[in-house]
Amino acid sequence: MMNADSMTSIVTQLNALTDGLFLLSCFAMVAMRQILACLKIFIIQACLLAVSACLLGYLYATEHLFWVASITVAAKVVIIPWLLRKSISDDVYARREVSQVLNIPTSLLIALGLAIFAFALTSPLLPATAGPAKVNLPVGLAGLFIGAFVIAARREAVPEVIGILAMENGAFLAGISIAPTLSLIAELSAAFDGLVVVLVFGLLTRRIYKHVGTTMVGNLTILRED
Amino acid sequence: MELIAMLVILAVAAGLCLIPTESDVPAPAITVLSGIAVAALAVRVALKAATGTPVVAIPNWLACDSFGALIVVLVSYIGVGTSIFSWGNMKRPAGKGGASRLRRYYCLYNLFVMSMLAVPMFTQISLVWIALELTTLTSVFLVCYDKTPEAYEAAWKYAVLTTMGAIVALFGILLLYWGMRSAGGGLFTWDGLAGVMPNIPPGILKTGFILILIGLGSKAGMAPLHSWLPDAYSQAPVPICIFLSFVETATIPYVIFRLWPGLAGPVGATTGTWLVFFGLLSAGIAAFLLIQVKDLKRLFAFSTIEHHGIILVAAGLGGTAAGYSAAYQIMTHMITKSFCFFAVGAVLLVVKDQRIASVRGLVRSFPFAGVALLLGALAVAGAPPFAVFLSEFSVLKAGLTSGQYLAVGLLVLFIAISFCAIMYHHSRMAFGRPDGPVQAPAAPISYVAPLFLTAVPMVLLWLYMPGPLNSLLRLAGATMGR
Amino acid sequence: MTSRLLFNIVQVLVVLGFAPLVKGVLARLKERVQSRQGPSIFQPYRDLRKLFSKDEVVSDQSSWIFRAAPYVVFIAPIFVTLLIPVLTNYPLFFAFMGDMLGGGFILALGGFFAALAAVDTANPYGAMGASRTRMVGFLAEPVFMMVFFTVSFSAGSTIPYIVQENWISPFSNFFTPSHILVVLSFLMLIIAETGSIPVDNPSGHFELAMIDESKSLEYSGRGAALMKWGGYMKFFVLLCIFLNVLVTPWGLAGSQHIYDLLLAIPLVLFKMFLFLLVLVVIESSLSKLRLFRITEFLTAAFITAVAAILVGLLQI
Repeated sequence: MMNADSMTSIVTQLNALTDGLFLLSCFAMVAMRQILACLKIFIIQACLLAVSACLLGYLYATEHLFWVASITVAAKVVIIPWLLRKSISDDVYARREVSQVLNIPTSLLIALGLAIFAFALTSPLLPATAGPAKVNLPVGLAGLFIGAFVIAARREAVPEVIGILAMENGAFLAGISIAPTLSLIAELSAAFDGLVVVLVFGLLTRRIYKHVGTTMVGNLTILRED
Repeated sequence: MELIAMLVILAVAAGLCLIPTESDVPAPAITVLSGIAVAALAVRVALKAATGTPVVAIPNWLACDSFGALIVVLVSYIGVGTSIFSWGNMKRPAGKGGASRLRRYYCLYNLFVMSMLAVPMFTQISLVWIALELTTLTSVFLVCYDKTPEAYEAAWKYAVLTTMGAIVALFGILLLYWGMRSAGGGLFTWDGLAGVMPNIPPGILKTGFILILIGLGSKAGMAPLHSWLPDAYSQAPVPICIFLSFVETATIPYVIFRLWPGLAGPVGATTGTWLVFFGLLSAGIAAFLLIQVKDLKRLFAFSTIEHHGIILVAAGLGGTAAGYSAAYQIMTHMITKSFCFFAVGAVLLVVKDQRIASVRGLVRSFPFAGVALLLGALAVAGAPPFAVFLSEFSVLKAGLTSGQYLAVGLLVLFIAISFCAIMYHHSRMAFGRPDGPVQAPAAPISYVAPLFLTAVPMVLLWLYMPGPLNSLLRLAGATMGR
Repeated sequence: MTSRLLFNIVQVLVVLGFAPLVKGVLARLKERVQSRQGPSIFQPYRDLRKLFSKDEVVSDQSSWIFRAAPYVVFIAPIFVTLLIPVLTNYPLFFAFMGDMLGGGFILALGGFFAALAAVDTANPYGAMGASRTRMVGFLAEPVFMMVFFTVSFSAGSTIPYIVQENWISPFSNFFTPSHILVVLSFLMLIIAETGSIPVDNPSGHFELAMIDESKSLEYSGRGAALMKWGGYMKFFVLLCIFLNVLVTPWGLAGSQHIYDLLLAIPLVLFKMFLFLLVLVVIESSLSKLRLFRITEFLTAAFITAVAAILVGLLQI
């Protein structure tokens, strides 16, 4: 029979492993060419966030994190992908190459630089006793930065929305480790996923596709001043 | 109790606006009535808060102190003018479903005002963030009200950049919570945070603050992150421009400055420097962009960025006097900027093209709009005898007395450049020979009333400051001045 | 002492003897996945016997390098075998002669000679294959270094026997993110180094598309046999490093008893069989990458390795 101590250490390691895979999924998001692949990676990433939330919820014994996990699964694994698939026709997803500003190896190296920057930014903040936050906080910040980079590097509407969601995944990956006792954390997550992403971006993408006839939002440059 | 009533009135009004009717009258009428009711309640709240005791509706959840009351009274006062203006300005769009689109506009309008009021009322920081997200949520579809590709482009940029900023700010807020827990704090409210802030490790405090500053800054059009702002202004309906401007120069600075009281010592000095830096950057970039601007609404967008910069600098200078001047600047700018947008709305009555080049000789062809636009330009650029001159002067004075000559010098330079740029564009629009004969319509009451409503304080504050308002500003300044 | 020397020799014999079998099983599995009968799993042994009994033809335009290369290619994996845990989980006689970096150098030496020999023949396909192999090699090099750093960083040592201990004691170490990520990264490296799909197609017969195979096109008879056998052993040795050091350090002989050692042989082969199943799935479900996409494949491996070391650093 395992004693509580070694159970804690295994849960901590599993959480760290989840974080490692999370970081990898961030990179994968940068590397993917197809929009559909990007969406799938995002779903995996959301699942990893939910797993980490459950592990930390067990570790800190707070029910808020289980709520975060269930909201994440409901919103990001089921509703949002369904909505994104529904609002834009399939041929957009089937298109092979997402036009990108940079080529993929360069993008990956930039993403790597961002991850190292996140690490450098957060490591002075972490006391030795921080526990799981030692991995979650830097990986979360890296996810945030890489998500922002995805938004900057892509020109299609759906990958940009996925980039925003990836940023949010990063923020919550850090949040569940540093603020597990914040009583409103589940509401924060629900507010973001439900209101902003589903309503604003779901409707906006749909309308842009309907009225403008394209989802290449990067090519919308009527308002750019020379 | 007033606080709950205000939010409920607006929510109910938003619901009532959606009731389908044949005529276009009920929705704007409801909006104007709810605006007046909210303004009356806001004045009551402000009078109570001016005595120095916060108005508490639900302890630890819903309360309003002097700084919050200043924002509340400001938004509801401008809201009255804007709701009247909307009635005249927003016409039923042509085509099928035009009536329901107009009703949806008023519904979202009320919700937008409600979310702006909620920000200074909530005391739980997480809820404040949610309320800020609500302002984005409600305003995105107001920005793309016109349903043109340009409008969608503007709305998309607005949504993407502000949401990115919101997530970065959320990260900062979570960091602050972490710091508060490790310092032994209890409730995550403004007061609870301020109480333990001296015990939070300075690294966490600094990182959290800079993340919040950058995140909210991108929502407020702070300099390097401002690219969405002129686009959104050029596409949004005029009343929405006013409220967007309000979010940028009043609501967001309010949230940033709320963190101020706890930032003492070396952390306070560093964060003050950041505020001054980003403020000067915004003011500087906006001043130079003002020179080359080609679109009437973009001009006022850049002016908003400039004033956002001035407000950040004012707070960053530190000290009670600077805090007072920041609060003063927030108030005068917002009143003046609404006046300007009402004037822009009047100009667009006769000129269907927003480009500055296509507006000529307004004073002759349509004197009502021409004079209003010129007055507004003078006022917002900071010429005496208008209130903005006084508030900008108090900012500079606060900086000079605390000996920060470099920041003040640069600020004076940027203010002077933008003054020249604004006056250059406006003199070309107001004077000269009109391009052709223009049918000058009679000035509609829905344009005159809001202009009058904002012109009175814009001029009167130069001569007379009401006692309660002054004490409100002083208390708010003390909150920011540490 | 003598038993440790003896065991070392047993290890070498195992590698020599079973390397063709592993290759044969892999070929058979691949054919079965494609619903074909496939050759017998002992086909590589028959190939070797046939090649050894044939005459060797050597171009008179080639230099000594061409003649020496097969021996170097054949010997290099045997040297590496002396350094790594093939059957035992305790260090054997030669274990401290070189660490993982040393093993990497020796394997690279074999590859280097093969490439030189390919250029030496003046056969255009040889030079093309050599340059392509070098390209993959150059890109794989940083990945190998990062994997090596990560492993030695978490274990505090570069000796494979010590590294292998580190991952499983205590058991929770097995789930360390740096471990799993290193495994992923090394898997991609093995695919690139052994010329499997998606980097290279080992069963292709079209010279223009070849990367690895085209280097030994000019060899015949004994030279070809040695080159082939060396290639089998290199694959076997890489699998040993991957399975016994990184992924599943179980099933190895724990004591100096000879029965333990003999028991370890089927266990190790079983582990390899399981891995071959995984490899077959990978090879059958992916298509070969375009040559210049290989950069991206190896960049991904590199990023994974860096992520491993980053997360490893964070946990301290």
